[in-house]
Amino acid sequence: MPQISDIELADRLSRRRARMLSALAILFLAGQAIYFSGPDVPTRNVDQLKVSAWLVWAIVLLVLLGTGGGLMRTGKVRALMEDEPTSANRLRAYSFGFWSASGTAVGLYIVSMFEPVSGREAIHLILTAAVAGALLMFGMLERRAHRDG
Amino acid sequence: MAERLYNRLLAIRSERGLTQAGLAELVGVSRKTINTVENGIFIPSTLLALKLARALGRPVEELFSLEPDQIGD
Repeated sequence: MPQISDIELADRLSRRRARMLSALAILFLAGQAIYFSGPDVPTRNVDQLKVSAWLVWAIVLLVLLGTGGGLMRTGKVRALMEDEPTSANRLRAYSFGFWSASGTAVGLYIVSMFEPVSGREAIHLILTAAVAGALLMFGMLERRAHRDG
Repeated sequence: MAERLYNRLLAIRSERGLTQAGLAELVGVSRKTINTVENGIFIPSTLLALKLARALGRPVEELFSLEPDQIGD
């Protein structure tokens, strides 16, 4: 198998990360229907498992966004994957996630004036908006950064 | 008014017969960094701008400018 340079390897991994994070964000959003089809208060084991799985998924996605992945790679490859444009894109993604969460919180506050919203539902929606919003923005900015011309 | 940074990175890199990956190797950054600077998507830090200028053997003001007509040989 031909040896590839660290620059080429970092380039491939970075492209893959951009595609993967975008896809995971869409899956994460699409998966929300499962959680809201259950009861308001999870009492059965299966419902508690669903809520726990969502939380674990959200934490894993946050860690992936924060670290950028590639933890098994050499320091040089990781540094190349975490270059200046990536850091700038991550900051913009965090900002977008913040505004997504804030917008969702405002929306929920308004909704709560007309119908009750449980604390768990509110936290779920706000965290989902923050995580999915930031991931989608990061994936989009990174894919744009890789595009030639 | 939104300000932008004009650059001649693509032209000077091509003059030197370097690929994006080749210049990235010289500077010690990713190919994506070179690509985003060339395309004007990303404004490099002072440190990166100086590294690029050193790698290409040109003064930094020849690579980057606030006005498009200030960039020239």
